Amino acid sequence: MASTFMGLETARRGLTAQQGALYTTGNNIANANTLGYTRQRVDLQQSESFPSVGTNAPKMPGQMGTGVVAGAVVRVRETFLDTQYRSEASKLGYWENRSAALGNLETILNEPSDSGLSAAMDSFWKSLQDMAVDPQNAGARAVVRQRGIAVAETFNYLHQTVSAEKADAKNELSVAEKEINTLLSQIDQVNKQIGSIEPNGYLPNDLYDKRDGLLDELSKFANIKVSYEAPGGNALAQAEGKAIVTLVDDKGNALETLVDRDGAKQVKVNSNADDTAVQSISIGDTVVDINNFNSTGKLKSVVESYGYVDQNGELAGTFNDMLKELDNLAYTFATEFNKVHEEGLSPNEIKDGDKAISFFADSESADGSITDRNGFASRMTISQDIRNSLDNITNADPSNPTLGDATYVSKLAEIINNKYDYGNNSEQSNFRNYFEGVIGSMAVSAQEANKMAANSATLQQTVDNRRMSVSSVSLDEEMTNMIQFQQAYNASARMITVMDELLDKIINGMGVVGR
Amino acid sequence: MRVTQSMVSANSLRNISSSYNKLAELNNQVATGKKITKPSDDPVVAMKGMYFRSNLNQVEQYKRNLSELHLWMDNSEAGLEQATSGLDRVRELLLQGKSDTNSVDERAAIAKEIAQIKDDLVNVANTQVNGKYIFHGTDVSNPLVTNGTPPTVAANINDPTIDNYTVEVSQGITMKANISPSTTFNQEMFDVLQGIEDKFNSNDTEGLDDLLGRLDGVLNSMNRERAELGARSNRLEMVEARIDAQEVMATKVLSDNEDVDMEKAITNLSVQESVHNAALAVGARLIQTSLIDFLR
Repeated sequence: MASTFMGLETARRGLTAQQGALYTTGNNIANANTLGYTRQRVDLQQSESFPSVGTNAPKMPGQMGTGVVAGAVVRVRETFLDTQYRSEASKLGYWENRSAALGNLETILNEPSDSGLSAAMDSFWKSLQDMAVDPQNAGARAVVRQRGIAVAETFNYLHQTVSAEKADAKNELSVAEKEINTLLSQIDQVNKQIGSIEPNGYLPNDLYDKRDGLLDELSKFANIKVSYEAPGGNALAQAEGKAIVTLVDDKGNALETLVDRDGAKQVKVNSNADDTAVQSISIGDTVVDINNFNSTGKLKSVVESYGYVDQNGELAGTFNDMLKELDNLAYTFATEFNKVHEEGLSPNEIKDGDKAISFFADSESADGSITDRNGFASRMTISQDIRNSLDNITNADPSNPTLGDATYVSKLAEIINNKYDYGNNSEQSNFRNYFEGVIGSMAVSAQEANKMAANSATLQQTVDNRRMSVSSVSLDEEMTNMIQFQQAYNASARMITVMDELLDKIINGMGVVGR
Repeated sequence: MRVTQSMVSANSLRNISSSYNKLAELNNQVATGKKITKPSDDPVVAMKGMYFRSNLNQVEQYKRNLSELHLWMDNSEAGLEQATSGLDRVRELLLQGKSDTNSVDERAAIAKEIAQIKDDLVNVANTQVNGKYIFHGTDVSNPLVTNGTPPTVAANINDPTIDNYTVEVSQGITMKANISPSTTFNQEMFDVLQGIEDKFNSNDTEGLDDLLGRLDGVLNSMNRERAELGARSNRLEMVEARIDAQEVMATKVLSDNEDVDMEKAITNLSVQESVHNAALAVGARLIQTSLIDFLR
């Protein structure tokens, strides 16, 4: 038969368990607005019934419940949603950064507008037309020279600004590198703390939350996979263990472990010999070539903006590509323009005999000749001859050495409309079409990046909503729980009063019959 | 689905911010009058915009080139008219002076008048517009005729390379602005005039008939050139009308491509304004209450 005091003990257990649940409710309410907090609940379990089975167990009509015990305090969280959230976060990190970089590029190039490169070219063409109509007019010649300078300066400005943007991307890259390494070492530290607490039979919920937050942060930079190593010692079944973070590519193949039980590895971005582009990324001692680094995330996007060495050993990347196109445009236009300009006769040549006078020049070559395509847009300028005298601007056909002949001015104006191999790839197009193509493909990439950023933001929000739906604190729910637990507590207390009265009855009120 | 306070407030904040974003975009459209502010808003519109803009710039420039053509043609026409009337007068004087009723003095007076006309023709042949000799083809910096007895024309007058002073009127299409020096103020004209003057000065009527024939030849050649110039003037007017039409078209196409439809944009703006107000109002109401308000 059960003990006399069994009811007291059952009610006492009820009191402590409900009290623990109330404290946890209090903690949930207090943390309702804490970022990354996962709501907790007390795992209430029935205590072992009486009598337990065994040969010497007392025989009773049935097993009787002995109350409740508070099991572990656990987090309410769905790890599957974390995986989803992190995979969207890495996409969002990639596209957001890419969209920002392309957005800057769009602002710099400023097309279509009345002040971009095509506007400068149009003005130059107009001034040549004005001069073709009146080739002798010093005013028209002066305008051609000034507009020529404006074209060269527009190229210089664009090249310099895009280069500055590239330098910024380099800073961003080193900041990203630092952030990744800080996150990895923080995850490692939390891992170690968790490792020392779990074997003692506790669940370090606050540390779990902290680690999940750090992993969310890290997932913005690259695609990661998280697995857990089962803890040893006297750990609870719900204990998560140490997190093992692996860098994975977009097909899910592991590239390298970032954090394991032994500690965090250092991620380092390695530049090429000239320090102009990214060559590889090393993780600990493993070196991953940048072309094999297919892990979507902010890190990859910053590398792509700044520039990297592609499979053919050439510089690639958003800003590098644009710089290359500017060079192509400036170089091809300037050399073709000079070719015609050198052929024709200027007033000075009509007077003193034919010499090859070039119009555009390279500011850094000794004689101003244009031979180096690479970076020419930043060095494009007007030749010293043209600076010296307006009468060095060509106008006449060599067969007709007269001041009124504007054949060559018209030819110069036509260069803008003529087809040349601007891309240095044996494809012919005219200046305007080629530039429209450059702007167009940039615009399409930017549009794609904007759309993808918006899409992955929406997806991430959806996942985040589902995650919050599971894990975040609902005050209404906590209030309901509070009432529930409080009432249960009150009822347990009342049980003790009832037991007290029962005991009072048998101790003080029994055996006094007839008194 | 379980819904919590933080979800509701995060969602409502997100909705307010996205509606504010749309509001800013529409505001931008109304303020700039443009459908797009950066190429990624609509790459096709952006690329077309660049093309149409260049196109409009070209048309405007060709229109400006036309004024130079007008200047040349009008001045050439005036010069030719003056030259023709001068030559007509010479023909009259020749016919008058040929008659044997004229005395030596009268013939000398005729010779003087012809000499004046000849000097005048030298001036006409050396007409300068904006510092350019317009009757000397492309060799605009040198005078066509040097005065003398007879006046001599420049050596390169028959050189076909200087014959065409052209102006581009649309891509690849040029128009000649000048009249050919070789068929108008040529050496033959001055030789004939000098011949007539000399004959009258020396009171010699022999061969005047021959000179009359040559003078008619010169007049004919000049009239042919004048007729040609008139025809070219007509063509210029046609080209001008076409370029005017092109300009209107190019402006319209550019505007259709990238200018915002104001009525539509402003309507959208006010619709978005009320949506935004509603989002704000709902957001303020949603977060107000919880179960706590109803617990004693």
